[in-house]
Amino acid sequence: MARLIRTEKEVEGRYEEVWLLVEEDSLEQWPAGPRSVVGRPAERVDGAARARGEAIFTGDVHLPGLLHTAVLRSPFARARVRRVDLAPALAAPGVRAAIGPGDARGFERECGYEGAAVAAVCADTFAQAQEAVALIALDWEELEPLLDPDEAARTGQLLGSRQYERGDLERGLAEADAVVEATYRTQTVLHNSMETHQSVCRWVGDTLEVHISTQYIWGVRDDVASAVGLAADKVRVVSEYSGGGFGSKNDPGEYTFAAAELARRTGRPVRCALTRREENVAAGNRNSTIQRLVAGAHADGTLTALGGEFVNAVGYSGWSSMTEGPMQMLYACANVRTHTAGAKLNLPPMKAFRAPGFVEGTFGLECLLDELAAKLDLDPLELRRRNHTDADPRDDRRYSSKHLTECYRRAEPHWQRRHDVRARSTDTVKRGVGIASQIWFGGGGPPSYAWVRVGADARATVVTATQDIGTGTKTALAQIAAEELGFPLERVSVVLGDTARGPYSTLSAGSSTTPSMGPATRSAAADAKRQILDLAEQRYEGQMQIENGELVGADGTRRSLDELLGLLGDGQILGTGARGPNPTGLEVLTFGVQVAEVAVDVETGEVSVDRIAAIHDVGRVINPLGASSQVEGGIIQGIGHTLSEQRLDDPGSGRVLTRTLDAYKLPTIADVPEIVCELIDTPDEHLTNLGSKGLGEPPIIPVAAAIANAIRDATGADVRSLPITREEMLRALAEAREREKRGAPATV
Amino acid sequence: MELLRPSSLEALDGGVPLAGGTEVVPLLREGLLETDVLVDVSGLVPVGIDGTRIGAGTTLAAIEADSDVPAALREACRLAASPQLRNMGTVGGNLLQATRCWYWRLHYPCRLHGGDRCHARDGEHREHAIFANDFCASGHPSDVAAALLALDATLRTSRRRLPLGELYRLPTEPDRRTTTLEPGELILELDVPHPDSSCYLKAMDRKRWAFPLVGVATARTGTATRVALAGVAPIPWLLEGSLDDATPLPGTAYKVEIAKALQKRALASLS
Repeated sequence: MARLIRTEKEVEGRYEEVWLLVEEDSLEQWPAGPRSVVGRPAERVDGAARARGEAIFTGDVHLPGLLHTAVLRSPFARARVRRVDLAPALAAPGVRAAIGPGDARGFERECGYEGAAVAAVCADTFAQAQEAVALIALDWEELEPLLDPDEAARTGQLLGSRQYERGDLERGLAEADAVVEATYRTQTVLHNSMETHQSVCRWVGDTLEVHISTQYIWGVRDDVASAVGLAADKVRVVSEYSGGGFGSKNDPGEYTFAAAELARRTGRPVRCALTRREENVAAGNRNSTIQRLVAGAHADGTLTALGGEFVNAVGYSGWSSMTEGPMQMLYACANVRTHTAGAKLNLPPMKAFRAPGFVEGTFGLECLLDELAAKLDLDPLELRRRNHTDADPRDDRRYSSKHLTECYRRAEPHWQRRHDVRARSTDTVKRGVGIASQIWFGGGGPPSYAWVRVGADARATVVTATQDIGTGTKTALAQIAAEELGFPLERVSVVLGDTARGPYSTLSAGSSTTPSMGPATRSAAADAKRQILDLAEQRYEGQMQIENGELVGADGTRRSLDELLGLLGDGQILGTGARGPNPTGLEVLTFGVQVAEVAVDVETGEVSVDRIAAIHDVGRVINPLGASSQVEGGIIQGIGHTLSEQRLDDPGSGRVLTRTLDAYKLPTIADVPEIVCELIDTPDEHLTNLGSKGLGEPPIIPVAAAIANAIRDATGADVRSLPITREEMLRALAEAREREKRGAPATV
Repeated sequence: MELLRPSSLEALDGGVPLAGGTEVVPLLREGLLETDVLVDVSGLVPVGIDGTRIGAGTTLAAIEADSDVPAALREACRLAASPQLRNMGTVGGNLLQATRCWYWRLHYPCRLHGGDRCHARDGEHREHAIFANDFCASGHPSDVAAALLALDATLRTSRRRLPLGELYRLPTEPDRRTTTLEPGELILELDVPHPDSSCYLKAMDRKRWAFPLVGVATARTGTATRVALAGVAPIPWLLEGSLDDATPLPGTAYKVEIAKALQKRALASLS
């Protein structure tokens, strides 16, 4: 029975009050621990198709008559187009149509950042489109860009500004036996998804078909419908496979609006795909931050005060993410004050990037905590334990489940290795171990739906219009349906990625796909199973269960399912399911801790990460193999964020300098350390029929702080800026030597 | 665009020479090199290693794997690029790599493009030069060139013989080129003397597949030791004085510290 409720909905740390249509979730959770299929490692159901190149990504969509688009983008960080003449481009060979400012959403005369879209041309080949777009005649008025986040904050050029306070920060600092204060900076990093942002649009009668690499086919449907003035169900969005998004593909983007408009003008299918160079400029970023932090504690480590002034360099548009979140939420502390300013700058707009805000804020907070531990001469792990909280310190709300203490316990053997690790230091290579905690959302929520279809072949198909963004959603949903149905995994297929062919699913962001779609899938499978068992009781005598594809009677008699379901003929069993509501009055969060081991060459500033142990509490684990893959991916991306990745901008013009993969340095396999993944795997008893939370984001959150703290442990140097390049490492080492010379304590 | 495959050196007539393509193709795609004619020289340039002689068409992968090649050169090859690139890229082409300076790559009107200022000097320059950086602060990206310079290699081109050092020139106001190679002139062969001992050490932003922030090559023959550096000047840099003579920019001072550490280690490792 569906009902409307008024509730708070969270995505990527942003809350809003909404009306939600929810259905009750009456299924009991399975007992904890591995089941027949769920909780056991499963290889990707589409692994072979991916390896063989059969998986169809948007880049593989080749429709008859397909045209290709090149986009003209602003070469200036701030400029106005006085005049634009598309005629020379329209006259160029192979060109079929061109659009300019105002012709499609996202194409403007006022350009607030380098890479802002101005015009686009479609032609028979991409090369022709590129040549033609260069012919567009433009008259630019170049304007002075604003590039300094502090200046924007000072002069009030803001995209959001927030103040938070509990207790009295000054009082907390006055009560403290030790106070540490430091400024941390994080850099701009780029998602660099393997598949660049792209769409193929085709009009089929009065319906617009959009093939797109996206994390949210329904969001794309609604945005495109509103942009082109269609009813939502007149837009069909397809995304069978996509090559990564990491938060940057939550909405359609100007490339989709261009493809839709050019397809309308030409009557032909049109592709608009960003090049790698465009991807490094105009596809979004994790914005840089400045964090001026202070912490105070009693001699026993009890926190008395936490304060932070945060500046998010949002860019020209976007939102100011919750960089202050960890400071407010991670530890019990009575006196906390944060102020967060989102600086509006003439730089490319941010987009969500794997735990936006929390990755940056955890670096600052968790480094500050280690500086505090050093000053108090306390064990950093013990300091974290002493400030553990059993309720959300913002509002005393209880957690639906929290096993951070268990994570700390499981971290202990990894943490104990530090004595041996340090002992292996030499005169030039210093070794150390660092720790950092993680807090994040990841509970998912309604609405989300799934259908399960069972036919005479005794196979089940899960049908749902969700998307698998490369995280293994398809495999996890197949496992859940197989488990509930009592089918072997090979007998379950999953069809997804098409708004015309399945019910609504939430977006694949905020670590929400499994905790949203998993329960809906189980509920649909349970509905189908009830129907199968009902038929079984009509056909045979007595109550039955399904186990491993067989009907098992109360007396232990086993019958093949094929026999019963074979009777269906062309008939089908159709189960439907919906994601139930989140638990009322409880905070659903994920927790974890990571322990990093590093080696620092103190003469050359080279940092090597040797090992990271990741212990996370995300409720029930559906697929341990898929989960460890998520943990590894998050840690590797985190290592890039920590050590080598940074978008560099020309300080004078605000133009992006690092546009290719040789200049923008993602980690390679040679940078990947030993990764040990341990998941608590205790179902959240209050959360849905599964007790599972999301795992996409948690593993990247503590990486930078764990590495920086390991560097401090190894060398005594305080690295406070990301990335920890050679120059930052050498600077911090020189500062530490200087401090030692002056005879000052290890930490300011 | 036309692709020619001349049958002999004599038949060579203009165009841009193409061997492994790992340098020329990206430059063409970026519009940093423009031509209507590509000349496949893979049939004209010697390939292979014979004593001290190395054909300019030999891939870095082949050099890396030959134990008769001096250690500095093998290490420079091994630490360059990625296996895929080393399988394609030739040693002759490697010597002629253009700078990775982002301003030059993005067509800023910088001095190497004939303009009137070095944008890197006042701009973002953490990957740039610590020597000879007054006119143009770009860093030379070749690991292999630094190793060959320390090894005192000689080149045979289609027109002359010259010490490797003479292949390069610092750009000046009247002449912005960084090499002395004339149009139509091909590097054919390298003569790489075998020293008593040699070594190449490299600092980069990640463990593999990055151009050198600093590369240091050392080679000792008898009592003479040569030190050459990559990534520290607009051309491969033979260190004739001391690293204390460096003139780093604010953002490249750290390179001097790294270079000193690597030089100390490289010299210490010479047997």
